[in-house]
Amino acid sequence: MGKFLLLAFRNVFRNRRRTAMTLMMVGGGVAALLLAGGYFRFMSNGLRESTIRNGLGHLQIFTAEHFRRDEVRVLDTGIENWRQVASVANAMPHVKGIAPRVEFYGMVSNGLKSSVFIGSAVDPAAEASLGFDPSLVNGTNFTKKADGDVEALIGVGLAKSMNVKVGDGLTVLAVTSDGALNGVDVQIAGIVRTGVADLDARYLRITLASAQRLLQSDRVTNLVVGLDSTANTDIVYAELAPRLGRFSQQLTMKKWIDLATYYRQVRSMFDGIFVFMGVIVFFMVLMASVNTLLMSMFERMREIGTMLAMGTPRAWIVGLFITEATLLGLMGAALGVAGGNLLGSLLNASGLHLPPPPGYTNSIAFRVLHIPGIMVGASLLVTVSLALASIFPAIRASRLRITKALAHV
Amino acid sequence: MRETDPLVGVENVSRVFAMDHSEVKALDRVSFSVGAGEFLAISGPSGSGKSTLLNLIGCLDSPSAGRVRIEGADTSALSQGSVTRLRREKIGFVFQTFNLIPVFTAAENVEYPLLVQQAGSSERRRRVAEALASVGLAKRADQRPDLLSGGERQRVAVARAIVHRPALVLADEPTANLDTANATQLIDLMRDLNHALGLTFIFSTHDQRLLEHTARIIRLTDGRIASDSVLEGESHGQVSAACIS
Repeated sequence: MGKFLLLAFRNVFRNRRRTAMTLMMVGGGVAALLLAGGYFRFMSNGLRESTIRNGLGHLQIFTAEHFRRDEVRVLDTGIENWRQVASVANAMPHVKGIAPRVEFYGMVSNGLKSSVFIGSAVDPAAEASLGFDPSLVNGTNFTKKADGDVEALIGVGLAKSMNVKVGDGLTVLAVTSDGALNGVDVQIAGIVRTGVADLDARYLRITLASAQRLLQSDRVTNLVVGLDSTANTDIVYAELAPRLGRFSQQLTMKKWIDLATYYRQVRSMFDGIFVFMGVIVFFMVLMASVNTLLMSMFERMREIGTMLAMGTPRAWIVGLFITEATLLGLMGAALGVAGGNLLGSLLNASGLHLPPPPGYTNSIAFRVLHIPGIMVGASLLVTVSLALASIFPAIRASRLRITKALAHV
Repeated sequence: MRETDPLVGVENVSRVFAMDHSEVKALDRVSFSVGAGEFLAISGPSGSGKSTLLNLIGCLDSPSAGRVRIEGADTSALSQGSVTRLRREKIGFVFQTFNLIPVFTAAENVEYPLLVQQAGSSERRRRVAEALASVGLAKRADQRPDLLSGGERQRVAVARAIVHRPALVLADEPTANLDTANATQLIDLMRDLNHALGLTFIFSTHDQRLLEHTARIIRLTDGRIASDSVLEGESHGQVSAACIS
């Protein structure tokens, strides 16, 4: 077996120039996959964290009723004793904080014009403790004024359509939890961008205390749980879920991934592009290698004939060619992993930035993550591709007529 | 194999090659037998069927008609696996162009038949050393073929052919690519191995230098045996009755 491997290894280096070309092709394919995969992972990780930090949190607690039916009245599927629930969740390891939220809707008016809004009420301190800062275009976040001074943040689209600016007043109208119409006057503290243009045209954010006064309810729609690390999401979910079952109100929990529709779409797009690249590399290596290995077979016809004449089983000839191709694949993969990581590190060190995507103002840092899974996967891909490419030449070699092979010049 | 069976029996063998629009009869009803320990030359002009006959005896090709028997076994009746095993265990080959594996050293080339037989490593080492010593190349064991002279390469090829102690060594024009000195050396070596180890050699040649040292010569003309003669004073081995077809 050792000598057989030695023969395969030496055969790989028999034609050094051709081997170098093949190694460069295989290595280039692996390096391309590493760079693309590392960049896509950096982008999707960044999007994941920004999605979570933009207010989604790692976990969200709702009542089970919330997903079973639409609310007849505002907050009638909300969490009743949410402070106790928050206290239980807050006591869990890895939990950084809990942010209660109220989702509601109604009308907003400036005296001249009215518009429908989609409202979100938050506890500014809790939001700040979890790093959920709104993306301000103008003005400031909520200031620490007395409860009587109701402040609001509104979306850029809503501000434009209502023709209002920071410091202007608005009247917010909503139906209370018992069905009556209620209203509060608010002062615009800031204008924000949510990242979704349609939502910007309807978005209004007030404090939780203001919303509960407006809606005449102590309930909240949900509790957002922030963790010390995204990697701990599953652990906290598994430990917290049974504890939520002890409350009289049936509660349920959603992980961030279940709520991050946009992230999932982007991730699946990146995955699709990466798989497509993998398929291209696979077939590029396969097609180019079949030709190379066939050339190698034709050059060694007399030698193969000699080996067969000496009683070498035909399966050994097949095995020899497949082993040579596999060795070539492994060496090319090692070269590609080394080259890809080196190039990735150089690119990371260069401080390269990409232009901002549509709707964004800040350029994005170009970084390539070194992902062991992609290194292993890409290496396996090219190695399998080469091994498959060798099957046809290997079978042809093993089926050579010995007398014809020996007479080959 | 029965005691009365010759090592090689060629019985009324013909070999026809189909060309584009015609057929070429390379061998025409050839019959003879070879006993163990013989030193037999198959001679004749180019195209007389020497190599075809060696290919048939070496089970590298199948006859169009007739039978080739090795130790009494009809090779045409054997499965492909059995024929491969027969070549691996019973036959050693020496080729005109040496046909060494270029990426292997001389020792590794000699070792190859033992590798295919899956012999143990210590046995392989011992037999390779013996075989290389017997052809006078013990000191060149670690050289690759491209660093050996033509004569040395052919001696490595002979060592490779005998290392697994086959019953029969087939050599196709073994001196054709050698100068006189190397050819003479190779002839002496093959003759010595024939005498010392009792190995049966069958080789094709039209090299007069080789024929002068040969106990028995079968001359082929146009695919037929023209003569089967035993030289006087060369009585080594059992020479069977020639059958001229």
